[in-house]
Amino acid sequence: MSIVVGYVPTPAGEAAVQAAIVEAGLRDEDLLVVNSAREGSLVESTVAADEDLDRVLAQAERAGVRAELVRGTHRDDFTDEILDLAEKHDASLIVIGLRRRSTVGKFIMGSVAQRILLQAEHPVLAVKPPR
Amino acid sequence: MDGSSNGKPDGRADGGAAVAPADPAQALADEWAEETPPPAGPVANLAASLVTTAIGVLGAVTAVGLGLGTPTQPGAGLWPLAISVAVVVLSLAQVVVGRRGGDGEKFSRYSWLSLVGLATLLGLVALLPVIGFEIPALLLSLIWMKFLGGESWRSAVLYSVLVVGVLYGVFVGALGTNVPHLF
Amino acid sequence: MESLQNVAAGFAVVLEPTNLLYCLLGVVIGMLIGVLPGLGPAATIAILLPLTYGVEPVTAIIMLAGIFYGAQYGGTITSVLLRLPGEASSVVTVLDGHALARQGRAGTALGVAAVGSFIGGTVAIVGLTFLAPVVAGFALDFGPPEYAALALLGILLVSTIASGARLKALIAAAIGLLLATVGRDAFTGAERFTFDNLSLADGIDFVPVAMGLFGLGEILYNLEERHRAVHAPGKVANVWPSRKDLKESSGAVTRGSVLGFFLGILPGGGATIASMAAYAAEKKRAKDPSRFGKGAIEGVAGPETANNAAATSSFIPLLTLGIPANATMALMFGALLIQGITPGPQLVTEHPELFWGVVNSMYIGNVLLLIMSIPLVGVFVRILRVRAAILAPVTALITMVGAYTINNSVFDVLLVVVFGAVGYLMKKFGFEPGPLVLAFVLGSLLESSLRRSLLMFDGSAAGFFTRPISATLLVVFVVVAVLPLIRAVRDRRAGGDVAGAPDAGASAKNREEESV
Repeated sequence: MSIVVGYVPTPAGEAAVQAAIVEAGLRDEDLLVVNSAREGSLVESTVAADEDLDRVLAQAERAGVRAELVRGTHRDDFTDEILDLAEKHDASLIVIGLRRRSTVGKFIMGSVAQRILLQAEHPVLAVKPPR
Repeated sequence: MDGSSNGKPDGRADGGAAVAPADPAQALADEWAEETPPPAGPVANLAASLVTTAIGVLGAVTAVGLGLGTPTQPGAGLWPLAISVAVVVLSLAQVVVGRRGGDGEKFSRYSWLSLVGLATLLGLVALLPVIGFEIPALLLSLIWMKFLGGESWRSAVLYSVLVVGVLYGVFVGALGTNVPHLF
Repeated sequence: MESLQNVAAGFAVVLEPTNLLYCLLGVVIGMLIGVLPGLGPAATIAILLPLTYGVEPVTAIIMLAGIFYGAQYGGTITSVLLRLPGEASSVVTVLDGHALARQGRAGTALGVAAVGSFIGGTVAIVGLTFLAPVVAGFALDFGPPEYAALALLGILLVSTIASGARLKALIAAAIGLLLATVGRDAFTGAERFTFDNLSLADGIDFVPVAMGLFGLGEILYNLEERHRAVHAPGKVANVWPSRKDLKESSGAVTRGSVLGFFLGILPGGGATIASMAAYAAEKKRAKDPSRFGKGAIEGVAGPETANNAAATSSFIPLLTLGIPANATMALMFGALLIQGITPGPQLVTEHPELFWGVVNSMYIGNVLLLIMSIPLVGVFVRILRVRAAILAPVTALITMVGAYTINNSVFDVLLVVVFGAVGYLMKKFGFEPGPLVLAFVLGSLLESSLRRSLLMFDGSAAGFFTRPISATLLVVFVVVAVLPLIRAVRDRRAGGDVAGAPDAGASAKNREEESV
């Protein structure tokens, strides 16, 4: 059993990782940090740089949590990927970061977070960044 | 299945100094060789060479029909015959030389995407004189973005409308060309 | 030395606002194309050919030239920052350029590359300025036999030096020659290969073929783009190279300029070969070769200087002899033909404002490149965020609509699609499109030269060898044609298999369009 957290180098993503580390400590479970970018362009802001990932892993270590990193790319939708990983690693919890969005923003761009919330079989913890 | 990533548990990307081969150029070349698509096989080579041979034969036959004349008074067909013969000879040589395959690329399941793309382009050509460029272009853009590119409906529609709008503005508006247009 | 008056007149042409604007446009588009994966300078030039109809010949070539040497620099950006060459000529830059970036010295690498590119380009232009009129003067003695021999040699060289299967490249070239015969024969008036189709009666138009083969073919190929790694947006800190860096690279820059200049003139040579040769030369020359691949500044300065020098000097055969040295030059040749100008030795004398206008525009273009390259790196990296799924239909539609504007004919658009399919298939089966276009462009010139020569010699082909120049060229032709056969036989006899050099990685990068 482990905790799967979707990480992007944004305030929401950082908040999600923090919460995931706390949860992993509480449940005494391993942590799986997933950073996956959308295929199709050479550069994406959702790709985490090495320093970010190092920092995240260090944080987990300090908290006494065993963390593993999964990096890669997905072709169409991150939802499928994170749910597949949750299935594969028998996750007890999925943690995702939520951006604050206006109603119009949600309508036009859609929301991966919304899809994960609605489709996941496992419990989902949605975390917002501090104001 | 298409959405699955190829993520693998990753330690650290650049800490591999211990295992890197002494020659960085070779290491890079190896890495890229891994990522390149697999080459086409012997069947592809044979098929391609036979097609070019056929082209050469067709050319030669037609050329002879045009009249060869003499070297001093070349007819219309002399030069095409010479080239066609060259094509046939080179193609037959290629059948032998390339019999093990190894050039070009294998067709993958993603090659269907290119076929669909080609079909949409032909559709655009067919519809262009009939209903102008706007609607076929919009359809093509939607298909390419949504189905071939995996964009969401929302972004595909948004960008397609934008693209066709800009095309209209540039080609019909700013440049004033005679592209058939409906609006 | 060409009268200074003409050179000055050339500058006057360049400084006209329209031409300056198109120069800027070309250089910016070139850099963008160099940065973006999936489209090369040849494809872009092909797609933008319809744009050249409405402007003066000088203006058109100024812009197209800007695209070409601008792209050489754009490819460097991705090489250094993302470890992925944007262009085939930036492949070697990845080695030391990215190593420097990892050490936090991305700005140094990019800065040295920019300065080196500028100097390499400028040196090549100066060389062009002095060498070109000399060659052109010498070539005024050329008659049909010389042209025939030169065209044959050029096609052969481009086909043999092309990466990939040599034989297939030759087949492609031969088919290109065959395609050139479609239409009405100039000598006898007979209709060849038109199959009673009216649209084919005047021959196949060059522009749709180029747009299809290079433009649409590339786009269709990119549709099946396999999984490609995505990168985090890098940050570029120290933007300008230090004086120490510049001093260290000065030797490499000098050597790269000269090497690139000479390698670019050779048909089939060009920017890619020049960059690889410069890298190898620097490594061999260095006191401590083990530095290379780990951030040696010469490993960036040498190749980057050489590829810009070569890109510029590859104009020489085109502008002085009328023989394109590579596929991109073949496109320029076609662009000039559209404008009613036949490139050849007489170009310098009959259209001096065109010749000097283009040459002098390169000075300006290089300056623009240098000024814009460093500050705009951030912008270019942002451009990389555009997803291929969005870019593909945009470029496809621009190509299609642009094709219609050539002649207001749907047939042309159909031709583009047909040749797009052909280009795609050629790529999949390992045939180079470059030799085909080159041969297509030279086809009618070659044929008419050969026929005139035969008329001159009363039908005897031996006549070619009675003239010194054509004899020499034909001997070179035979040598180049036969050499690989001899080598293959010798290798097989020796029993050994000479291992492929690390630049196998470069030919594996055929993913990227090779403009050379």
